Amino acid sequence: MIQLSNVSKYFDNEYVLKDITFLIDKGALVYITGPSGAGKTTLLRLIYMAERPDEGNIIVAGWDIGKLSRNSIPFLRRSIGVVFQDFRLLQNITIFDNVALALRVQGGRPKDIKETVSGLLSDIGLKYKANDFPQHLSGGQQQMAAIARAVVSKPMLLIADEPTGNLDPDASANIMKLFREINLRGTTVVIATHHRELFRDTGKRVIYLENGRIGKDTIG
Amino acid sequence: MRTLYYLFQTAVKNFWHEKLINALTVLTVALGLMILGAFTLITLNMDLSLRQWAKGFGLIVYLKDNMTLEDVELLKEYFKKDKDIIEVNYISKDEALKELKQTLGAANPILGGFEENPLPSSFELRLERRALEPLRIKQKAEHIRQIAWVEDVQYGEKWLSSLNSLSKGINVIAIILGSVIFIATAFVTYSTIKILFYRRAEEIETLKLLGATRSFIMLPFLIEGLFIGILGGIIGLFTLQGIYMFATSKIIEFLPSIKGATTSFPFTAYLLPPFTGALMSLIGSIFAVGRIRY
Ligand SMILES: Nc1ncnc2c1ncn2[C@@H]1O[C@H](COP(=O)(O)OP(=O)(O)O)[C@@H](O)[C@H]1O
Ligand SMILES: [Mg+2]
Repeated sequence: MIQLSNVSKYFDNEYVLKDITFLIDKGALVYITGPSGAGKTTLLRLIYMAERPDEGNIIVAGWDIGKLSRNSIPFLRRSIGVVFQDFRLLQNITIFDNVALALRVQGGRPKDIKETVSGLLSDIGLKYKANDFPQHLSGGQQQMAAIARAVVSKPMLLIADEPTGNLDPDASANIMKLFREINLRGTTVVIATHHRELFRDTGKRVIYLENGRIGKDTIG
Repeated sequence: MRTLYYLFQTAVKNFWHEKLINALTVLTVALGLMILGAFTLITLNMDLSLRQWAKGFGLIVYLKDNMTLEDVELLKEYFKKDKDIIEVNYISKDEALKELKQTLGAANPILGGFEENPLPSSFELRLERRALEPLRIKQKAEHIRQIAWVEDVQYGEKWLSSLNSLSKGINVIAIILGSVIFIATAFVTYSTIKILFYRRAEEIETLKLLGATRSFIMLPFLIEGLFIGILGGIIGLFTLQGIYMFATSKIIEFLPSIKGATTSFPFTAYLLPPFTGALMSLIGSIFAVGRIRY
């Protein structure tokens, strides 16, 4: 699903990522961890094409990102869902519309969109908040909605950058449970976090970044 | 199509969400287009007046005394074939005298001093509006003067050239002002859309991550710009129409004779402001959104 070969990224002539090579299989759930500033966010941004590598190759879902034309980026992005620490829901539209947006950018039929979004919101227990604006939801609920938006178009890959960074332990646990469920349904999931509790004893793969290099690649 | 509908809805929502800045922009655009419309009206009215005055304008061709009636007919035919001449009037010596008597009063002592009718016969030629160029009319007069039977040719040379330069001056001002307002309208919309675009920068980043294409991101802004232009145009138009009707009614009250010389609010003036507004605002928004990069 994701293959990095000798990838390096520089900012102001200083490397942020150096010589990163790894392979993440289809259907895997992988954690990326490391201290703050280690390069986790940058690594994820490379995968969802918000940055381009200075050296090396990245292949995502069979696409060689270095060779991809800029015009086809939107189309590849539709097979990648992204979740952030700060949710990034649009504040002036409802939860329903936020989730529906991911389908609308693809030109889905209104009837299908309504069905799919309603169904998904029911599944995650947010149906009753569908017509509320994001600021009326708790942090945990907002993150749930953001995850719903990321997966509503059934992407092959879900990327989360510190998804529990703004949440209390209970909400964090719920969110992590949701990620595992999504993964069980076949979506490849990559989660960057510096909270060891999240991956301790999960039996899942953990990639440690230290100063822009891979320090360890083990099972959590 | 449904996406277009959704984007249109989004534009309406966004427009409403930023009421204040959008309303200010609309009013600015309205003001500009109103001025543009006003100048169009003034130009049109001026042109109409010139045309009406021009109708009364002509060349007077004084003839030599020794012409036969046949000669007169021949010359008349010649003038009628000329495309610049729209009307040919022959005034015989007798008619000329009659006119003069009418003007001066039959008992006027000036008339008593002549044994014989001293007035020449003449042709009055009315010219096409397009022929009323000072240079062209001068050439025409020279040309007619060459004809053997013609004694002299007269026309209101100075009057014509000042009228002409007045008309040209107004056209030049209208074109300059028009261009300035065109650019100003585009620029005002440009700045507003630019501001709105930056305000929604985060939203745009999110849209990009969701796989939105450029046009999906751009269109709401362009539609919003179009709203600004069209609304501004319509508001400007109705304000202008109100002012125009008020002004013409007042003018006619004071100067009844001018009645025929004002146009009713013409069709061009109806279309111009909303159309210009829409076009220029659209151009402004296109520049404001610029190239969206991934
Ligand atoms: N756009 C940028 N310009 C310059 N430096 C950057 C930029 N993005 C990240 N960095 C630097 O790269 C390093 C890694 O950052 P980041 O990937 O955010 O780490 P992490 O997510 O692990 O905390 C940091 O030192 C950060 O300052
Ligand atoms: Mg980070």
